[in-house]
Amino acid sequence: MSTPLTSNVPVVPSFFRSAVRVYELSLGRMLWSRRTLFMALVVGGPVAVALVLRLLAALDLLSLTGGVDFVDSANQRVTIDGPGIFGLMVWGFYLRFSVPLLGVFYGTSLIADEIEDKTITYLFTRPLSRCAVLAGKYFAYLVSTGLVLLPSVMLVFFLVVSLLGGSIGAAFPSLVTDLALLAVGLAVYGALFMLIGTWFRRPLLTGLVFILGWEPIVAVVPGYLKRFTVSYYLEGLAPHAMPQDRAVTGILGVMQVSEVVPSVAASLIGLGLILVGGLSLSAWVVERREYVIEQ
Amino acid sequence: MNAAVVAVERVSKWYGQVIGLNDISAEVHPGVTGLLGPNGAGKSTLLKLIAGQLKPSKGSVRVFDESVWGNPGLFFRVGFCPEQDSFYDQMTGLEWVTALVRLNGFSESEATEAARLAMDSVDLLDAADKKIGAYSKGMRQRVKLAQAVVHGPDLLVLDEPLAGMDPVARRQVIKLIKGWGSSGKSVLVSSHILHEIESMTSTILLMNHGRILAEGDIAAIRGLIDEHPHKIRIRLSDPRAFARGFLDHVGLRSLCLEEGALVIETENPDAFYSRLTEVAASGALGDVQEVSSPDDNLQAVFEYLVK
Amino acid sequence: MPIHDPSYRRYTGSRNEPGSSWLIIAETEIRGVLRKKLFLFVLLASWGQFFVRAVMFYLSSNFSSLDTPALGILSPSVQTFRQFFELQEVFVLFVTVYVGSGMIANDRRSNALQIYLSKPVTRAEYVAGKLGALLFFLLLVTLVPALGLLVLQVMFSGSLTFIGENLFLVPAITLYAFVEALLSAFAMLALSSLSTSARYTAMIYAGMVLFSGVLFEVLRDVSNGALELVWLSFRANLDQLADVIFLLPPRYESPWMVSVLAVGTLIGVSVAVLKWRVRGVEVVT
Repeated sequence: MSTPLTSNVPVVPSFFRSAVRVYELSLGRMLWSRRTLFMALVVGGPVAVALVLRLLAALDLLSLTGGVDFVDSANQRVTIDGPGIFGLMVWGFYLRFSVPLLGVFYGTSLIADEIEDKTITYLFTRPLSRCAVLAGKYFAYLVSTGLVLLPSVMLVFFLVVSLLGGSIGAAFPSLVTDLALLAVGLAVYGALFMLIGTWFRRPLLTGLVFILGWEPIVAVVPGYLKRFTVSYYLEGLAPHAMPQDRAVTGILGVMQVSEVVPSVAASLIGLGLILVGGLSLSAWVVERREYVIEQ
Repeated sequence: MNAAVVAVERVSKWYGQVIGLNDISAEVHPGVTGLLGPNGAGKSTLLKLIAGQLKPSKGSVRVFDESVWGNPGLFFRVGFCPEQDSFYDQMTGLEWVTALVRLNGFSESEATEAARLAMDSVDLLDAADKKIGAYSKGMRQRVKLAQAVVHGPDLLVLDEPLAGMDPVARRQVIKLIKGWGSSGKSVLVSSHILHEIESMTSTILLMNHGRILAEGDIAAIRGLIDEHPHKIRIRLSDPRAFARGFLDHVGLRSLCLEEGALVIETENPDAFYSRLTEVAASGALGDVQEVSSPDDNLQAVFEYLVK
Repeated sequence: MPIHDPSYRRYTGSRNEPGSSWLIIAETEIRGVLRKKLFLFVLLASWGQFFVRAVMFYLSSNFSSLDTPALGILSPSVQTFRQFFELQEVFVLFVTVYVGSGMIANDRRSNALQIYLSKPVTRAEYVAGKLGALLFFLLLVTLVPALGLLVLQVMFSGSLTFIGENLFLVPAITLYAFVEALLSAFAMLALSSLSTSARYTAMIYAGMVLFSGVLFEVLRDVSNGALELVWLSFRANLDQLADVIFLLPPRYESPWMVSVLAVGTLIGVSVAVLKWRVRGVEVVT
């Protein structure tokens, strides 16, 4: 048996360096965790659908020329084509489903997982600030979800846009905007749910209540309440003519309220505020919170 | 006496309406200090406060003369081995210890070297490349110790490090802890098993119901317990004659005859031992074969104090 | 002086009949869940619709002389009760996730399953106990408020006309509430038995329910209705069955028997999973 090495220069690593170390430690665990199955479902589903559509179109078994019966946010009927189908898939699969759900599942788990596994003590007894731990984990979340989700979007784009004579070249700028939009969505939802994960004891249920209860309900309430959702601002950044949720459109119709979509600038400011607020409040909470781990 | 490595001053800790620690003050000095007490005494709470994982509700906890809560820089000098049996099970022991020591600012190569040395120090180098999930309980305890010592801390805080170990592993770890203590490190180690602590150190902090009952040397603590009689067992050839001879001893509480032995309870052990020496030397009351005091071990001290 | 025998004595009291242990398990679970404040908040929120509809029924019954078009919306109908279930879907999800996700997973995590099954409790009784507790809460947010609304309608209107004309509503509400609760409960318990983490189970369940719905909707929308694969979606199957049970025109063109088959298959698979996973000792080969 030999004596352990002693650190020669005990200088507290910079915030950035510390965060990078935590990021390196967390990334692999995040990618190869139990959630990989869920991630595969989220990412593989749209690609599988795109492949099926492509196959059906190639075999001439599916006619997509009739136009799909949906209205955009300005109540205009939109004719479907390849880019239209892509827009529909970006809305239906990614923006309305994958991004909020990945945000809930991963964001709320960033700290909660370590607590549930009782391993947070090992991170919090190292010479780095708790904020750095949080930042490293948040980066790992962004990279792991982004690395898996964004290529899936690109695959769907190339499989679907060229259907019905759509031009990949012409639609490419919208792909870039979509990718940026999804990345922003992941970042903002992630920050928000990280805050919920550090604050609440049952963060998953709270997160689900937010995306399945709060966001859909206030979307049909006239006034300013909808500004306290993420989806409201994301919709303001959407490049496509996005179809409306049937329930939302129906209720707004009954209430004779036309839906308001915020401007791009207002959306960016709103999302920025949620992002910065989520991150800084999470840091504030985690620095002050005692994590009592029982045997 | 050396300056205190850990100074706990009038600390109380509440969990909601449950009190974990109740106005305790204590000091830890270089060497091995045993934190002893039954389950629920508040040992783990105290160690978590010292390791900066909990914030005192009242009072202060200082380590190396710095406040420990919200002071991550201290963890260059502190190593903590928590009680819970939890790991990143998918990693190998070496990967895990390397990853953790990297958080101390070690470069990749430095971290690997330090992790190897730490694994070697807990005699786990052979299993370093096995997944932690495949480790036995004893190995898991040792890899936890490895992550606590890997960065060469001056203070080691070990919460029940021997829990669940087999006797061989237990002996190894006791040897390790004693070695760290004698090499100049401060080691604060908790256990609810008396003979474990006794085999590591004679310096103890005795806790029960969230309070420190006693601190210091086991023998000194025993000496302070005046209100409890001292029990002495004497094996000899004629217990009855011996008993008759000691009936007039000042401070005698009881005499109990056993086969070939006499057990005496006295409130004045010093006077008793002086007289016993004289009598044994003279041989007047028979042949004294063995004198032992069941009260000198930690079990007795503990039982007296928690009664 | 009486001399007492302090040695061990066997229990000589009465014992419950074999087969009733599930009630104890269910009762323990229910008591445990009711102690959680967050859940009580969810439960309270889930009754929000009941109170809103009760007010609507009261207004339509007592201000009918006003004859405004708004009263038409407030008046109860078969559609009202169908919509009631539709809007309760989100609470069914919350309750299933909150109550059900840890039911077996937590027992597996803490090795309590072995302890349960070392008592005179059969595996079926264990599952029945857990299922009973989950069904209790699910019916508390579906069946109980729906039947309560029906009773309130009679009380407010002071007439049995509506219920007399729609007598089938009582069995329809009961049947649909049980179909929805049984499907949700079996699926969740099966997932819970596959894991040792309640949070992971909750994620997979919520992901499965939501993803299947999104997949169904996107496929239908991009194919202009040609790919209306109702069987794919957890919710679409239930919606289709609800329409049939409430004697309303089915919302999807797919035959409703397909949905019966899909729901039956899912429950069957869940039962098989439970049979496979709920064991005292897991043999790893």
